[in-house]
Amino acid sequence: MKSAAAGSAASFWRRISAQNRDVLKSVGALAAICILAVLLSPTAANGSYIFLQLGNLTDILRQVSLVGIISLAMNFVILTGGIDLSVGSILALSTTVVALVLTKWQPGLSYSIEITLAVLAALAVSTASGALSGAVIAVFDVQPFVVTLAGMIGIRGLAKWLSSNANVDVGFGQDVASTFAAIFRGKAVTIGCYVALAIVFAVLLSRTIFGRYVRAVGDNERAALYAGLPIRQVKLWVYSLSGLLAGFAGVLYAAENHQGNPNAGVGYELDAIAAVVIGGTQLSGGKGTILGTIVGTLMIGVLTNMLRLNNVDSNVEMMVKGGIILLAVAVQKQGKHVR
Amino acid sequence: MSQTILQLSEINKRFDGVLALQGASFSVFAGEVHGLMGENGAGKSTLAKIIAGTIAADGGRFFVDGSPVTINDPHDAQRLGISIIYQELDLFPHLTVAENLAIGNRQFKERKFVRLADLDRFAEPFLEQVGLTCGPRCAVRSLSMGGRQLVAIARSLSMRARIILMDEPTSALFDDSVERLFNLVGALKQQGVAIVYVSHKMDEVFRVCDRVTVMRDGETIGTRAIQEVSSAELIRMMIGKEWQARDCKPAISNDETVLSFSDLTTAKLRDVSFDLRKGEVLGIAGLLGSGRSEIGAALMGLDRWKKGQIILRGEPASIKSVKKAMEAGIRWLPEDRKLDGLMMQMSILENGTISDLRPLSWFGFVSRQRERRAAMALFGSLSLKFASTSLPVGTLSGGNQQKVLLSRCLLGNPDIVFLDDPTRGIDVGAKEDIYRIIEQLASQGKGILLVSSELPELLRCCDRILVMREGTVAAELDAGHTTQEEILTLATHAPAQVGGPA
Repeated sequence: MKSAAAGSAASFWRRISAQNRDVLKSVGALAAICILAVLLSPTAANGSYIFLQLGNLTDILRQVSLVGIISLAMNFVILTGGIDLSVGSILALSTTVVALVLTKWQPGLSYSIEITLAVLAALAVSTASGALSGAVIAVFDVQPFVVTLAGMIGIRGLAKWLSSNANVDVGFGQDVASTFAAIFRGKAVTIGCYVALAIVFAVLLSRTIFGRYVRAVGDNERAALYAGLPIRQVKLWVYSLSGLLAGFAGVLYAAENHQGNPNAGVGYELDAIAAVVIGGTQLSGGKGTILGTIVGTLMIGVLTNMLRLNNVDSNVEMMVKGGIILLAVAVQKQGKHVR
Repeated sequence: MSQTILQLSEINKRFDGVLALQGASFSVFAGEVHGLMGENGAGKSTLAKIIAGTIAADGGRFFVDGSPVTINDPHDAQRLGISIIYQELDLFPHLTVAENLAIGNRQFKERKFVRLADLDRFAEPFLEQVGLTCGPRCAVRSLSMGGRQLVAIARSLSMRARIILMDEPTSALFDDSVERLFNLVGALKQQGVAIVYVSHKMDEVFRVCDRVTVMRDGETIGTRAIQEVSSAELIRMMIGKEWQARDCKPAISNDETVLSFSDLTTAKLRDVSFDLRKGEVLGIAGLLGSGRSEIGAALMGLDRWKKGQIILRGEPASIKSVKKAMEAGIRWLPEDRKLDGLMMQMSILENGTISDLRPLSWFGFVSRQRERRAAMALFGSLSLKFASTSLPVGTLSGGNQQKVLLSRCLLGNPDIVFLDDPTRGIDVGAKEDIYRIIEQLASQGKGILLVSSELPELLRCCDRILVMREGTVAAELDAGHTTQEEILTLATHAPAQVGGPA
């Protein structure tokens, strides 16, 4: 009886493709963490699990949204065999630019136009920052780690210089800046943006020529060159997209925190890379999916939430996160040996 | 006379089930230069690496100075006084000359901390012996290939090597360094060092060797003293039996020239000229590094043209990138399918279509249906065998992987196809399929350039054959009126003792 069940499970496992197998594995891991979270969850006065309350679940989504958005483009960068360390600094620059434009610029236009322009300015600066890294990497063939490390330092400096080292406060009144914050800080808006961008990037990766090229360049760059693929353009694009999404996360950050903060986003690049790696994307490039990255992001979110609901010390939380990353990579490696 | 210093008997070695060496036996005298000859893939380098302990033999016996020994790793070989100098010298470019000599060397007595004076004292006598003047403290990366070769030899000497294996030592050298190397080889011989000289260049073997052993298909065919053998006999030994089958020769249907090289010169080619007609298969023969693959690199815009031009369909063409070449209707099958061709983690389907996705897509979105239909038609005509096109391409056999790359080449319906050794390392059945495809492509009026290491293959499939040597066209032959002997003679720069019937 038991062996028959095991046999049919094994034959099912063989029939599905390797890629789907990896996705199923990570979805399974996410489910396991969720079950654990429910079991460990404290209960409310009426006996229901706090973890499962709608408010808690949407809180998790909201908390992971910013890093989640950044990790979508980070996945593209890593798929090409690169890395982008500058996203945390670009996020800070974006918060600063959007807040400065809204508070210091008084053109007397309608609120909607002014807010649109401020957001576009932040996104443009962010995309340009990413494009600059991408151009250096693509044209001069310098290691992405070094280029984006330089970007991480330099762009943080730019954000601090623009804001004179101080937070740019976005008020709670009726002015244009406060209106901006009121629009973009909603839970539904933040989560909606994450979901929409996730769908766009999933389609971009799995259905378009660009997505194919991204994976091909990371899989075997020399073969991609010999096959006539536009390697430089692909690299320029992925770093530009990475800048764009980091900038978008910065806009949401500024609204949520009611300020432009040049010290925001420190360490976000590592959180995003962690989400991508937990999601099964290979750091050497060529293999990985957006669904995997989303699962990786949610795993970190659920885990953090579970530990916080149980009042676990935040330092212990970090230790557990470190362990989970190692575990995720170990599981992926093991799968390879079996094949 | 001379006494036997090294003797091998019945050495066998398999790689992934393929026999690389089969009962190979030979012996080396003290103070002789012993040539080891054979075509590409005959097993020369494998045998040299087994002697040096870099790879372990599956079976066979070794004798040094008449007593049986085991050689399982490089340390065993070093203890026995055996040292190897690889084709791609295994030096550390960022270390100094003296450090390269001392590192991993049992003769150098290490202390806890390195003293530069110790290193200098250790290295200097050997540097003097090989005639390297740059001093022990200069960095290896600052030396020319010839200089590095001397460092590698000094390293062998400093290990007290009595048997030095040199694997194609002149392949990366220019003329004056070659001369210096030969002089040094002569001097070492006088000191009683035995040298195993792996080469497929006929003139060198006659120049430096005392005896020569010929290998073919992993077997040692025979050993001859150099005074008692002609290059014609060596070539016959290397080729073996005559090849008769030549049934896939397509007839040239028309005389329209589709591609011409005119005095084309790049970093690795000198004044290369030839014409390729529609519906013709033009073979390119030559040793590794002779410039045969570099014709492809020049054609695809990968190597810069210094001089001369390429004429496409009667018009001078400017090809500066692979993309430009592809737009001009040229496709290329690279030599090394794993390193240069396939994206191993991507699927069979994706590998087949990656070069020509545009016509299969709509505003940047790949139409899966069109992609599948186009690929399946090609896969079918190439008799590609697969369980599912969504499996990673790495799950296929070598022959089927090559067919996936061929599909990639053919999907864009090119006019000109450059195939760089398409049948290397694939099984006989897949080879036959590829010959059939070449024939079909020619009959469709495509111009085909076929590089091959296997001469019978060239004779069988081609209309004409270019023989490349040292970056130039050594000869252009009519495939119907030439022989393997003639091609090999031209490719190896042997004295012209054998001529094909004109």
